[in-house]
Amino acid sequence: MNRVDYSIDELMVVTLARAFDNTTRAFNGAVSFIPVCAYLLARKTHAPELVWAASSIAIDADPARLGESTLSDSIWDGAAMLSSSPFEFWAYAQGRRYNTFAFRGAQIDRFGNVNNTVIGPYDTPKVRLPGGGGMADLGCMIPRIYLWSTTHNPRIFVEKLDFRSGIGWGDGGNHRSELGLPGGPQLCVTNLCVMDFQPGSRGMRLRSLHPGVDLEQVRAATGFELLLPDGEITITDLPLAEELRILRDEVDPTSMRLREFPA
Amino acid sequence: MHGCPELKKIENIEAAAALVADGSTIALGGLSMNSTPMAMVRELVRQGKKDLSVVAIVNGMAVDWLIAGGCVRRVISGLISFEGMGLAPNFRHAVETGRCELEEYSEYLLIARLRAAATHVPFIPTKAGLGTDVIDLHPDTTRVEYDPVTGEPYVACTPLKVDVALVHANEADSRGNVRVNPKLVWMDNEIVNAAQTTIVSVERIIPHGDFLAEPHRTTYPRFMVDAIVEIPWGAYPSSCFPEYRHDREFYETYSLAAADPGQFREFWMERVKEPASHVEFMRAQGGAGTVLRIRRTST
Repeated sequence: MNRVDYSIDELMVVTLARAFDNTTRAFNGAVSFIPVCAYLLARKTHAPELVWAASSIAIDADPARLGESTLSDSIWDGAAMLSSSPFEFWAYAQGRRYNTFAFRGAQIDRFGNVNNTVIGPYDTPKVRLPGGGGMADLGCMIPRIYLWSTTHNPRIFVEKLDFRSGIGWGDGGNHRSELGLPGGPQLCVTNLCVMDFQPGSRGMRLRSLHPGVDLEQVRAATGFELLLPDGEITITDLPLAEELRILRDEVDPTSMRLREFPA
Repeated sequence: MHGCPELKKIENIEAAAALVADGSTIALGGLSMNSTPMAMVRELVRQGKKDLSVVAIVNGMAVDWLIAGGCVRRVISGLISFEGMGLAPNFRHAVETGRCELEEYSEYLLIARLRAAATHVPFIPTKAGLGTDVIDLHPDTTRVEYDPVTGEPYVACTPLKVDVALVHANEADSRGNVRVNPKLVWMDNEIVNAAQTTIVSVERIIPHGDFLAEPHRTTYPRFMVDAIVEIPWGAYPSSCFPEYRHDREFYETYSLAAADPGQFREFWMERVKEPASHVEFMRAQGGAGTVLRIRRTST
């Protein structure tokens, strides 16, 4: 096998892209460079029918490069339709026509619930974060939820959220179906590993370690007891040279995705 | 006060802002760094409005200006930030120190509350927010109920009444017909429909005949609009698609300045508060050079 040189942002994008297919109908919110790159990469490789609404507005957009905002018109070029948020976007989301959404949080718990609201007590916060925006809504509406985090550490992967801004698998088990909500989180991709959610308990479970990362490192970086797979722990599949070429040259030539990583 | 249709509705910016009373509830159009009526917001700051409740579904700079200007008692919102360029500094500080109340929802819960107000129904049901802590913040306005037939849970969103909606658009005629080019994509219609009074700032006034020639492009009819203010670059530093982009330089410089109170004060006075007119404000942003940098297309 040919050795390929890649960076961690590229591995994360490629891993997410491979989770999407021709049935994926996705959109994106703010500061979502990693999933935006993944939707575009999937569409330019194995999933040409994938639907992506840039900023949740510009359907089938095909920007030559990404701007510094994933919520602005800087990524709308080439769209077949500019949809309206209240009339079209929220109708497609609630109608489950859109089926895929990726979000992240300042905190993530074992059931894939996220916090983007406050650190510390709600009424006397240590840090007042931006707020959940559409997270509380879309977590309830979209069946295939993907989580990502460019920094896997125990401050982000916590035992208990300070505030639940968006629902993943809720309290675990059947909680989502009891609330009448479709699907739930599928994968969580970080800079250290890939995790899925154990059927039944819905607890977060290690799926593969990125090359060079060991289990103890992931355990130490996770603030809750991470479930382990039944079989052997595998290594995350490496990016192919062609995937890297398309990502670097066609999807994100100005490397806006690096804005999600600490300087 | 959707007024007499025969009267011309063009106002100067001072007169339009005077329609906003101290203590009233205003709602701001646009989303994040897009299509926000920033020039109108700046005029509210200049007029020293007090005790406003500000509905801003997903916003950043406008709310930060109003807080820096001392105009705000309460923010009603789903998200306030400068996206990847950081947290809105004055908003963050005001909420952390309790100087400003925050009535927090999610994006769709706010849309549902505005729709309940606009349609005069006691509540709008939705699945949005179920199972999150957002629902527990305001049980008097967004509460979990169970359908009596199926037993299925839903969130009942009660009306959110708005006194004045402030939105920015591309074009209007003198009667108050408005159009957004190429079409309205954000939630401005939800606040216009929920509001008693609507003020629209526009990039330009065009002849009434242009609306008659292409009536399918009209976004708001004249009876929904109370005042039109012509302010080219009136959404700056947010964008006005497809004419100009948001000004990244402004957001970044503002965020940097906010790290130091003295430096912020200087920036705030020079770049935001002191310019005596919108033309002088744009000059303070770098004038023609800035305009050329953010312009997308000629129209």
